[in-house]
Amino acid sequence: MVTLTINGKQIKAPAGEMLLETIRRQDIEIPALCHHAAVEPFGACRLCTVEITRQSWDGWKNYVTSCLFPVEEGLIVQTHSSEVTRIRCTILDLLLASSPNSRVIQDLASEYGILASSYVVDAAGDDCILCGLCTRVCSELGMNAIATVERGRLKKVDTPFSEPSASCIGCTICAQVCPTGHIRFEERGLKRKIWYKEFKLIACSECGRSLKLTPEMKQYFSERQQLPEDYLEQCADCKQKQTVDRFNRIIDRSEEVI
Amino acid sequence: MCIKNSRQLKQVQRDFLTRDKQFTRKALICCGTGCLANGAQAIVDEFRIVMKKKRITGFSFEAVRSTGCHGFCEQGPLVIIEPEGIFYTKVKTSQVTDIIDTTIRKGVVIERLLFTNPVDGQKITHYPEVDFFTHQQRIVLRNLGKIAPHDIKEYIGNGGYAALDKALRRMQPQEVIDEISRSGLRGRGGGGFSTGRKWQTCADVESEMRYVVCNGDEGDPGAFMDRSIMEGDPHAVLEGMIIAAYAVGANQGYIYVREEYPLAVIHVQKAIEDCREIGLLGKNIFGTEFSFDIRIARGAGAFVCGESSALMKSVAGEVGEPRAKYIRSVVKGLYDQPTVLNNVETYANVPIIIDKGANWYCKIGTPKSAGTKVFSLVGKVRNTGLIEVPMGITLRRIIFDVGGGIIDDRPFKAVQTGGPSGGCLPDSMLDLPVDFDTLTANGSMMGSGGMIVMDDLTCMVDVARYFLEFLVKESCGKCVPCREGLYQLHGLVQKVCAGQGSEQDLDRMEQLSEVIVRGSLCGLGQSGPNPLLSTLKYFREEYLEHILHRRCPAGVCRDLIIYTINEKCTGCGACVKPCADVAITGEKKKLHVIDQDKCTQCGACMAVCNFDAVEVH
Amino acid sequence: MCQDFSRLPEIIARHRQSSESLIMILQDIQQEYHYLPPEALTLTAETLAVPLSKVASIATFYNSFSLKPRGKNIVKVCLGTACHIRGARLIQDQLEHKLGISAGETTSDSEYTLEAVACVGACAMAPVVIVNEKYHGSLNVNKAAKLLKRK
Repeated sequence: MVTLTINGKQIKAPAGEMLLETIRRQDIEIPALCHHAAVEPFGACRLCTVEITRQSWDGWKNYVTSCLFPVEEGLIVQTHSSEVTRIRCTILDLLLASSPNSRVIQDLASEYGILASSYVVDAAGDDCILCGLCTRVCSELGMNAIATVERGRLKKVDTPFSEPSASCIGCTICAQVCPTGHIRFEERGLKRKIWYKEFKLIACSECGRSLKLTPEMKQYFSERQQLPEDYLEQCADCKQKQTVDRFNRIIDRSEEVI
Repeated sequence: MCIKNSRQLKQVQRDFLTRDKQFTRKALICCGTGCLANGAQAIVDEFRIVMKKKRITGFSFEAVRSTGCHGFCEQGPLVIIEPEGIFYTKVKTSQVTDIIDTTIRKGVVIERLLFTNPVDGQKITHYPEVDFFTHQQRIVLRNLGKIAPHDIKEYIGNGGYAALDKALRRMQPQEVIDEISRSGLRGRGGGGFSTGRKWQTCADVESEMRYVVCNGDEGDPGAFMDRSIMEGDPHAVLEGMIIAAYAVGANQGYIYVREEYPLAVIHVQKAIEDCREIGLLGKNIFGTEFSFDIRIARGAGAFVCGESSALMKSVAGEVGEPRAKYIRSVVKGLYDQPTVLNNVETYANVPIIIDKGANWYCKIGTPKSAGTKVFSLVGKVRNTGLIEVPMGITLRRIIFDVGGGIIDDRPFKAVQTGGPSGGCLPDSMLDLPVDFDTLTANGSMMGSGGMIVMDDLTCMVDVARYFLEFLVKESCGKCVPCREGLYQLHGLVQKVCAGQGSEQDLDRMEQLSEVIVRGSLCGLGQSGPNPLLSTLKYFREEYLEHILHRRCPAGVCRDLIIYTINEKCTGCGACVKPCADVAITGEKKKLHVIDQDKCTQCGACMAVCNFDAVEVH
Repeated sequence: MCQDFSRLPEIIARHRQSSESLIMILQDIQQEYHYLPPEALTLTAETLAVPLSKVASIATFYNSFSLKPRGKNIVKVCLGTACHIRGARLIQDQLEHKLGISAGETTSDSEYTLEAVACVGACAMAPVVIVNEKYHGSLNVNKAAKLLKRK
């Protein structure tokens, strides 16, 4: 355990923990758009920047992203000093200029008092803020169907050559972790379309409703988690019903016995 | 052949020197990229052809050496006749026979091939007498222009690998680190971090595996020091790396070379192969227990790969995106192992420090910045090229003594050092000593050594715009302040260039810059606003001139200038063809006019006019 | 267009089949085909067992790679700082004007590709243009125009 000071309060935290976790445990809210517990910290959005100093630093301060900075003994942290707020506001202002239509960015910016960007707004700018969560979870799962292409302001998330990717299993996890809702997918009946690729969805063997599961996903799960072949064939409702039925049959039979 | 002990190394050296003594004269032909571009290879070939026909005692084609860069690229192709040091510039193939017959055979100097001093118009016979060379102190560049870089025997013949021999046989690894620490050597890549301390940190980390990496990415536009060293003296870099590896206990090294430097790749590759052949790389170097090998990793064009964590990703064959590092790469670098990363010039300093000792080295330069620094002196200066000067020399001496002053005697305006991470210093700073700390304290930085001289025809707003445009293109795009912030900053400067800026914009630029500096993930963003901030600090009036009077005093910003043709026009028509806008009309031998509605102010007409008839307002 | 990729395994083998050498492998492929054909990237990814998305990332991240076929002659205008203040923009304008394309494009007859590049390290001879690996220094507008064999 190490002892550090956050916003004037002495706090103990396990050694090796990242500052962001410690800060959030204190019910202090700081934004972080590229952070997710499932993947390694990345440090791209810079919104979780905090001010750090030490008694021995003689008034000198440094600014670090709390998602990537491990707690240290004697560290003095300010999460909302005027300079931190200025950095955070500028970043939100810049994001609002590049993704002006994103609700998430709009809401977050307005929390910090920014109702319209003071920079040149890219009216055609999409909602992607290049936080990299989608590509990182995709890679973490071993699919690597999407990655960033190009660099700088031209950078975007895409499949190779903007074509359907052989390694995409249609799991939509990328869409689920996307903080701004930029990644979308279509689903109609037993069909799903994401990243230029169309997937069939498995129907419940009982009621025929969509299991929201592609055959590729099923294969992925059965290969990696050694699930029984028929584990992913029925929807939750039907499974529950079957269980109830099974119990009923046992009860029925026991009555017969009696 | 395999060199297993000191005696064998000395033997190779002696053999080379004995062989060399047979020649009464030698012809050194500069084959750096600059001279090659001016036709140096044709000169070498011509020597070969002529020598086939002639038989001269004390001279053969073997005495014709294709050497690395002399630095004086502007005057190429350069031929130096040793031992006298007769210096011929701008040599043509047709003059080779004459050089052989007159100078090599008889030792007679050919007047018309000599360099004319631009200051007094006098012919200069020997190259050490040329101003460009007299003010230099060549330690790192000692072999450049003297030896053939592709021949390991020449390097050994000139005392090469003696330092490695000394380190491996007579010094413990810790003694090597101590020697480098005491020498005061600081990283020549930009930051100026103590090399000895870096090595010590790496050696102190407990690890099975360690790496030694050489940064030869040299992404600064306007710099070519590392290129010239890798091309002209690759063994000095390798020797430095092998010594570093021995000191910290590394067994694998990488040398990261920009792909824009094909000749450097060829020469370094050849040097590595030659070293392997004679047992200076690979298993049991010099017959000792120590084993180490080096591989080349070619870059593929990304400025951000000069940043240490991005470079290491690129070496590993990945996208060169920097990672945030609260753990330094010297502790956890390439493949997450402790890694010593230094640049080309730093490694090239190492052999001579080991050879002559830290006490000798730290007497050169200043107490806090020991040694020399190699600069590429370019821009609006008379003598452009590669120079090496002791630290602490003033900017004025570099620009006016070594560089011979400004082209056409125009007024000096600014000098830019440190590339896109550095800044522009005005004439009031010309007497500043050049060392790591002074440059940083004044809003610029040493950087890797690009030094670009600017005259009154250079617009400082345009220079800031130029660097920001470069950085916007080169930003990897990972973090928001750099990707979006530099883009918006560029937009604001662009606005000033277009005459649409306001004074408030200047304040906004400064505020946004501060956030980019504080908030960016890596050095590219953290130092990216420097060229803008330094020009805002020292040349604010020029910004205000653009804003308040919609005027570009240097006549550069296209939205704020017009071109006209005055009565000096002879009607030669030279300006008509290059005019992309078809804006210039006029009868032959009569005054031409520019149609202002069509003109896009490209300035091509002014550039081609031989009569000063095109004016810019 | 049907291309022959039979030399690809040899190119990859030259680099010990190592994913560490991915960037250099792509450079050698580009040397061979003058650009990076998508099929070649797919084959490389399969041979090295590297995700194709990673190969595509690298091929688009670094300046020197081109996913589009390039012309027979590659003309590179250096836009380094030394070249910039000695009028590189004028040279670029002139070459664009003469070729009728912008930097980064290829002429419709596939003869020329014009590229604007950051420093090529020949600053002492600024401004510099490289035509098919040959350096041309100390250029002016007229000299630059003469580098192209077309009117």
